[in-house]
Amino acid sequence: MISDKAKEQIDAWIKKYPEGRQSSAVMEALKIVQAENANSLSAEAIQAVADYLDMPRIAVQEVATFYENYNHKPAGKHTIRICHNISCMLNGADNLIDYLEQKLGIRTGEVTKDGLINVKKVECLGACVGAPMFQIGDKYYENLTEKKIDEILATLK
Amino acid sequence: MADIEIEIDGNVVTAQAGEMLISVTDREGISVPRFCYHKKLSVAASCRMCLVDVEGAPKPQTACSTPVNEGMKVHTQNAKVKASQKAVMEFLLVNHPLDCPICDQGGECELQDVAMTYGSDMSYFSEGKRVVVDNDIGPLIHTDMTRCIHCTRCVRFGNEIGGIAEMGGTGRGEDLKIEPFLQEGITSELSGNMIDVCPVGALTSKPFRYALRTWQMNATPSIARHDLVGSNVFAQTYKGKVRRVVAKDNDNVNETWISDRDRFSYEGLSHENRLLKPQIKLNGKWKEVQWNEALEFTVRGLANQVSDNQANEIGALASNTATLEEFYLLQKILREMGSENIDHRLDIKDLENSITLDSNIKLTELESIDYGLIIGSNPRLEQPMINHRLRKAVLAGADIDVVNVMPFDFNYRINSENIISPYQTATILAEISKSVLKSVHAKNYLSNVSARDSAQSIANRLLTADNSVIILGEHIINNPQAISIAKLISEIAQQTNSATLNISATSNSIAAEMANFVPGQGGLDANAMLAAKLKAYILLDIYPEYDFHNSVKALEAFGNNTFVVSMNSFKDKVISQCSDVMLPIASFYETSGSHVNIDGKVQSFAAAVSAPSESKPAWKVLKVLADLLKLQGFHYEDSTQITSEAVNQNRQKATDERPVSVIAEAKRGIDVIYQKSPYATDVLLRHASALHATKIGQVHLASMNKSTAEKLQVERGKKYLGVPVMVTESVANDCVFINARHPIGGKS
Repeated sequence: MISDKAKEQIDAWIKKYPEGRQSSAVMEALKIVQAENANSLSAEAIQAVADYLDMPRIAVQEVATFYENYNHKPAGKHTIRICHNISCMLNGADNLIDYLEQKLGIRTGEVTKDGLINVKKVECLGACVGAPMFQIGDKYYENLTEKKIDEILATLK
Repeated sequence: MADIEIEIDGNVVTAQAGEMLISVTDREGISVPRFCYHKKLSVAASCRMCLVDVEGAPKPQTACSTPVNEGMKVHTQNAKVKASQKAVMEFLLVNHPLDCPICDQGGECELQDVAMTYGSDMSYFSEGKRVVVDNDIGPLIHTDMTRCIHCTRCVRFGNEIGGIAEMGGTGRGEDLKIEPFLQEGITSELSGNMIDVCPVGALTSKPFRYALRTWQMNATPSIARHDLVGSNVFAQTYKGKVRRVVAKDNDNVNETWISDRDRFSYEGLSHENRLLKPQIKLNGKWKEVQWNEALEFTVRGLANQVSDNQANEIGALASNTATLEEFYLLQKILREMGSENIDHRLDIKDLENSITLDSNIKLTELESIDYGLIIGSNPRLEQPMINHRLRKAVLAGADIDVVNVMPFDFNYRINSENIISPYQTATILAEISKSVLKSVHAKNYLSNVSARDSAQSIANRLLTADNSVIILGEHIINNPQAISIAKLISEIAQQTNSATLNISATSNSIAAEMANFVPGQGGLDANAMLAAKLKAYILLDIYPEYDFHNSVKALEAFGNNTFVVSMNSFKDKVISQCSDVMLPIASFYETSGSHVNIDGKVQSFAAAVSAPSESKPAWKVLKVLADLLKLQGFHYEDSTQITSEAVNQNRQKATDERPVSVIAEAKRGIDVIYQKSPYATDVLLRHASALHATKIGQVHLASMNKSTAEKLQVERGKKYLGVPVMVTESVANDCVFINARHPIGGKS
């Protein structure tokens, strides 16, 4: 379930913590394993992380379900995280969410048929200065308009 | 810690610096509502219900997480407190269904009680309530998670007490759910305690579900007799039947917890296999008769078989679940008649080689050991409450080493697990002994022993630890060198100033020893009684197929030309085949009596219900039998008179002169260690259906390694002695470990 390369990466994180506190690396470990498994965490993946870090399975499950950045269903190649908190909402995020859904033909939380894009509604990403905004991968896209969204979507392959 | 004074609601009370406010108010009897706080669990401070007003603090403080300070002034009843508690209550009820009449917890629900006092009669919340889909988490606990208020008591119970984190909180915010991983079932041997700690109707007892309301039942304090601890319980009864068993607090015995075995065994009481009427066998046919007829038949039968000077042709055998009083009366009858053929040790192959080892550490002291050595035991399943104390010791920093024939699933960290064949157990102990005695003049039998590293390190730990204990478990009882093992343990313990704990026999076996229910001078032990084919046997709650080490020999002994009196709580085919008279006796909770636990503590209990139909408490039956046999000294008015006579009788322990031998015999074939499933150790448990549906109850395996399997010519998928074979390299060489739900017949 966890490749040797991933194990190496996880071990590097484990080393950052005192001996016997390997469970501190659980968030990074989940991230690494998720990246390796079509951007989602299956029950087997969670089990594998639990075994690798010598943690109770339910404890890993708690972490994996608490944070929004872990997926439990297969995700698209690109995940659009669109903010719908107060600043973005006041600047028309709700309309943009409707537009995105319409344009991609999916609801938030779903993946496009070609498996390319999925959309997630998320809480504040700390970029209120550029509201409304969304995040794809590591990149923030701010001051969104319908036109700007069209342009960004066209670049996603 | 120093005593300090604080002021609560204008009254000055003393407290210990650093303790939490809520433990002070609890001690003083001041009511502070709470849901997440539990005195035996860590503090979560998540429900916010226990808010109190501390002078100087700007906002109300949670009593469960506020340590007390000298001069602190606290108000638990003022307007600020009332308003805060009312607000918290309203939030807790936002998502909680308001349908107490259809909830199984109704009437014993902490939320219901607190809502009555602190709740509002109306809610501002008009939106839809949250609904949580339920999953089946096993045969013991029913879930209704829509009622859950996320106090996390069950989660903390699993982490801190049960020792396996099974329940957890997944999701966040409104999506937070308390559930096990992948909706898997709960497997802990202490899982039933989650029902007790749950303050609402989210976790309730499945076998008891929708049966009764708590106020309809009487609660009688009693003692569970399934292990060496004698957990304190309440038997809750309704219309003469035990309907539920819950834990009763006793910090010296079971704290607040009881094992699932003690909690759910009551189900067996109403099983259809109960023996309800006295029966006698006439010309090979069973006939139901009145008690007086059955007893007269018994007395006549005994007289016919055994003429005046032949009392030694009678033998008495009893199961380990009998009460102290029953053991005492039965041995007294036999001895008054002139027979010393008395025994309760039924499952030991060679009684010449049986273990004698005293326990000299108290349950509460087990918590403060710093080193433990376990030999031949899987304590978690055999003695769950003793294991719980060991777990507490480990959490406090103790190290435990294990010598077993295969690895078991411990719920705490084990320092080293030494997996060795049964014939090497005595050897490793001899090596430990030799390392311990290094400087002292070593004994003769140690001259050819050289200690391996593991033995040396165990010896070092025993020598250096301040409080150490050596625990002897039930896998050793049929080890050919059992007596040497026990003697070596007691010698090592003496040399290293360690305590010993003998958990090799279970249930009420300590009471049997106390009542002197063992063969006396010239008497036969259990195996010898079977081999001698006596003319008459009196059996107390014995089921030959299950209880004897060699049931084939037992059935032969109880065959023709003997007169067998069976006093039984249940009937089965085998017992009716081999008895001549069957007398129905009371089971657990139906008789008064006493249990003697590993501390030597005599815990007496009254009957919670009367015995069903025509069955009677065994001590009464034995008393009448003694009268009919015209024996003197049986004028007891109640069982407590028997108790004090049994406790006060003068017992002399013979010194054990059997020699120690550590010579590991060359190739001796395969050792079989047979252990009953933890839910099949006595007849009541064997009839408790919910327990048998649990994962622990389902365990039914003969484990061995590949080379053993080849020698025995079995393989995975086949059966050995009727038990499915599991081939795993983790089992020691030349050894089969059988954990079985049913008897495996005449075991060589």
